Parts: sequence; structure tokens; C-alpha cells
Amino acid sequence: MRRLPGAAFSAAAGLLAIVLVSLLAPLVARSRPWVENARGETVLAAPVPWDPDAVDLDERLRRPSLVHWLGTDELGRDVLSRLLHGARVSVGAGAVASGVALVVGSLLGALAGLSGGRTDRMVLFGIEVIQALPALVLVAAAAAFLPPSFLLAAFLIGLTGWTDSARIVRAEARRLREAPFVSAARAAGAGGGRLLFRHVLPHALPPALATAPYVLGAAVLTESGLSFLGLGTPPPSASWGRSLADGRDLVLTAPWCVIPPAVALVLLILAARRLGDAVTATGRSRMTSS
Amino acid sequence: MLAYALRRLLAALATLAGVLTIVFLLLAMAPGDPAALAARSGGARPAAPEAIAAYRRLHGLDQSLPVRYLSWYARALRFDLGRSFQDGREVRARLAEVLPATLLLNGCALAAALLIAVPAGVAAARRPGGRFDRGSGALFDVLFSAPSFVLGLLLLLVFSGWLGWTPFFSGPELGFRGIVLPVATMGLGALAFLSRFVRTCVRQALEDPAALAGRARGEGETAAVFRALRRSAGAFSAFAAILVPSLIAGSVLVERLFAWPGAGRLLADGVFARDVPVVLGTTLASGLAVVASSTAADLFSAWLDPRLGESRSGGAREGGDAG
Repeated sequence: MRRLPGAAFSAAAGLLAIVLVSLLAPLVARSRPWVENARGETVLAAPVPWDPDAVDLDERLRRPSLVHWLGTDELGRDVLSRLLHGARVSVGAGAVASGVALVVGSLLGALAGLSGGRTDRMVLFGIEVIQALPALVLVAAAAAFLPPSFLLAAFLIGLTGWTDSARIVRAEARRLREAPFVSAARAAGAGGGRLLFRHVLPHALPPALATAPYVLGAAVLTESGLSFLGLGTPPPSASWGRSLADGRDLVLTAPWCVIPPAVALVLLILAARRLGDAVTATGRSRMTSS
Repeated sequence: MLAYALRRLLAALATLAGVLTIVFLLLAMAPGDPAALAARSGGARPAAPEAIAAYRRLHGLDQSLPVRYLSWYARALRFDLGRSFQDGREVRARLAEVLPATLLLNGCALAAALLIAVPAGVAAARRPGGRFDRGSGALFDVLFSAPSFVLGLLLLLVFSGWLGWTPFFSGPELGFRGIVLPVATMGLGALAFLSRFVRTCVRQALEDPAALAGRARGEGETAAVFRALRRSAGAFSAFAAILVPSLIAGSVLVERLFAWPGAGRLLADGVFARDVPVVLGTTLASGLAVVASSTAADLFSAWLDPRLGESRSGGAREGGDAG
């Protein structure tokens, strides 16, 4: 395997760590103990023994302490537990949205590049139009008229983010259209679908996949903005953007509610972008050196 | 040049037509009955059927979808965006009311960002890999990755909370103290973007044979840097156009965070109130801003470099994507 440079390694490790947190959050942060004895007494509690949505009005706005490591918010919910569970929203929305964006983008891009002519012009026009509307504005406008839902928001974000991968795949597919092996397949009687999926896409996809970290970062950014506006994933589920929106009124009195989700969000987007930088740089150097 | 300009304007109009269609699709997608929602207008009880019917007639909601599409299209072309569901005032008037505040915010933010980004980018480009280059690069990377409302919250925390220098709420009527935090928030986001770009441009131009020729003629480094900046004007305009969508998204978030009375807040409030005409009007206005700025950037580049106008596909667009 090719060795990744140090920056890429740390970015990938950071991203992986956040993904792991999002996967393990329900196990690590829960009030139900890990091990109970027969009488229902706690033998081994979870490391963060608080549910993210457990409201405790007697424990409102506590400073960070040994009981609540990052303090509690205005409803007495544990900030650390909400931080860990909030990773699920950001990472999940980012993954779904970038998946949708990559699939839609590569299919439309390959179709446009392979068929050319009117299809090509139509796809290019669609890209122009989608890019003329800021992703956040489009998604917020759509979310305003739709029931609040995590999956729907993630899908909408994906539907605004496919343009870059479509452009990349289209350029590759145009190049491949005249490649000898594609001509050979066409001469052998391969139909449009077979040409697309067997011959063009496998070659056109890698450059688009290399931009996946960027797409992920952009999707996380849009999702956090959407949550901040109070759209997207409905409450009470914890999400970083929503914690920050609530934090506006707390920033003076309880900064411990604001700083953890802010730092987590910046780290996630930074890691995704750094990884994107590293992957594209590696791809470029490999192309020029061989 | 003229032919190119006409072609480019035509393409821009086509894109705008596409934007209009998307905005209408959003409208048609709205579930439930906007008339019932609007006729109720804040009241707790559902509105009487007569009120709903009257409302529907008033807003033309009783017609079929294609008819509504055409009439909406015709009205949108005259920039007649309908009336707000919330207060019954024209969306056009409400937009005109809030746009100055948004333009003020963005204008100040861009000016402040440019004032810092150009010297910083030039300094970084003069010694690639030097201490300043690495330090500013790392800082700008973090700034670039931070969502605008996160930056704003942290600025609020430091300057309003800990230092107590600035008020907690902002608005143009508060003077400098009321505007500095939102401007700084928007500016910091643009700063990271711009300074990276200036660095790339200046570095490329300094490595160019023209720079070598200049040095051979005995030009100083300052002259070389100025030439580099002048040469990248076309790329710079394309880049500024790319910045517009992120500025608009930033305005929506930052204006909400600071309760700034601008177009971004109008959109966010409209989204909350399910105020269809306001949401569609602001969406349309943002699309208009993006298309206008990218068209202007392309025309400017073609004016600077006539070769771009001669190529059929419009080279400025491709160049802009690379930046």
C-alpha cells in the first residue's frame, strides 16, 4: 500500500475517531449500566452515565465537574453525553448526503460525458442552475415546507452537492468515450447501460471519489447550518448545530455548553478537508510521476 | 467581445429561468394547504372555510398547477413576488427594506477581509514554506473550516462575554460597536478563502518567466509583486464570484446569530413562519445575486483578456472552477 503523508494520516485518524465516537455513543453514554447484578444494582456503569435527553431541572447549568465532566445545559442535560450523541447527526448526515451526492453526481456526469449532445447540455445546465442557489438557502427553503426529518434533510443536502463530482466524472467520461477499449466494447455490441456501468464508470469514478472528503465536509457544514436555523433533525435528538443555536443565550453565562460542540464541529470539518487536500495531492503526484 | 457578452448574458438569463423553475417546484412541493395556513395567520383556531376560499382566490391558489406556474413566472419576471403571509406586505418592499443592511454587512466584511488578505497572501507567497507561510496557513485552515455561526459565537463569547467590549445584540443603528462583531465574523470566513487565493496567484506569477525577465531588467521585488497582483485580476474576479454563494449562506446564519436586520434574517424568519412568498422571494434574490456576480466576473475577465471571449466555451468559467 502507498504510504500516506503525515498530515493525511492525522486527518484520517481524526475523522476515524469521530466516526467511532458516533458509532459507539449509545454504548458509552447511557444511563443504563453496563453490568447489573441480580438485584438490579449497578456493578459497572457506562463511562458517561447520562442519557443525552434526560432532563433534570435541579441540575441546570452546572459547571463542569467530576459528576458532569462537561457540565450541564439549560435543561440539566449532560453536555458530554449530548456531544457524543450529536456526532451521530453530523457524521450520519454527512455520510448520507455525500453518498447521495456522489451517486447522483457520478451517474449524471457519466451519462452526460458518454452520450454528449443534448443530454450533456441538459446536465450542464442543471449544474449551472443548482450552483446558482447557495446550498444552505435551497435546503432551508425546501426544509421549510417539509416535515422535519433527519433523513430528508440529509437527502436534500446531497441533492445540492452533486455538481462537483458530476463535472469531474463528466470530464473523465468524455475522455474515455473515444478510448480504444470503449470503442471495442461498442463494436462488440455493448448497449448504453453496459458501456456506462462496466466500461466508463469504473475508470471515471476514482477522481470523483478522491473529492469525497470535501463533499463530506461541505455536507457537514450545511447540516450544521440547517440545525442552527432550527431545521433538519427535529428535537430532542442532540445535534451540534442545535446545541450551538441554544448556546446563543448561554454564551455569557455557561460557555461550557457552547465550546465543546463548536470545537467538535470545527475539528470534523477540518479533518475532512485536510484529508481531501492530502488525497488530491497524492493523486496528482502519482499522475505526474508515472 | 460583443458577441461573447451577448452569449454570456443569454446563458445567464437561461440559468435564471432554471432558478425560477426550481423555486416554483419548491412552492408546489409545499405540503398541506398554504391557504389554510396563511388565512389562520397566527390564530389558534382553524380559519373559516370562507376565509380560506377568499384567501385562495386572492393569491390565485384556486388555479391548476401549470396556470399557477405561468402566472407566477410572469409576475416574477416583473419582480412581483407576492405578499407576505405574515403581515400582508409586498415581499418586494420587505426585501428592499432589509437589503441595505445585508449589503452593508457584506461590503464591510469583504473590505476588511481584503485589507488583511492581500498583504498576508503576498507575505506568504514571498517565502513559501517560511514561518509566516506555515503559521498563517494553519490559522486560515482552521478559520476556513469553522462554520460562520461558530466563529460568531466564539467572538461573542470573547468580546461580549469575557471582555465586555461589544453589545450582545447588533444592528446598524448602534454604530461601530453594533457592527464590528458581525462584520468580523463574516470577514474572518472570507479572509481565509481570499488569502489562500492571493498566495497562490502571487506565487504563480512570481515563478512566471515574466517575473524572471523583470528581475533581469533590474526590477525590485515590490514591482514584481504589484505586477503579479495586476495579472491575477481576472482570476480574482472569477474567485470573488465563487465567494458569493458562501457569503449569502454566511449572511443567513450570521444575521440570525446577531439578530441583524437583513435579508438573511428575512429568509430565516420566513422559513420559520412557513411564509411561502417570503421564502421564495429571498431564494430568488439569492439566485439572482449569484448569477449576476458570476456573469459580471466573466464579462470582466473577457474585457481584461480578450482571448477568453474568442473561445467558444467561455474560458473564464473553466478558469474559475480551477480556482
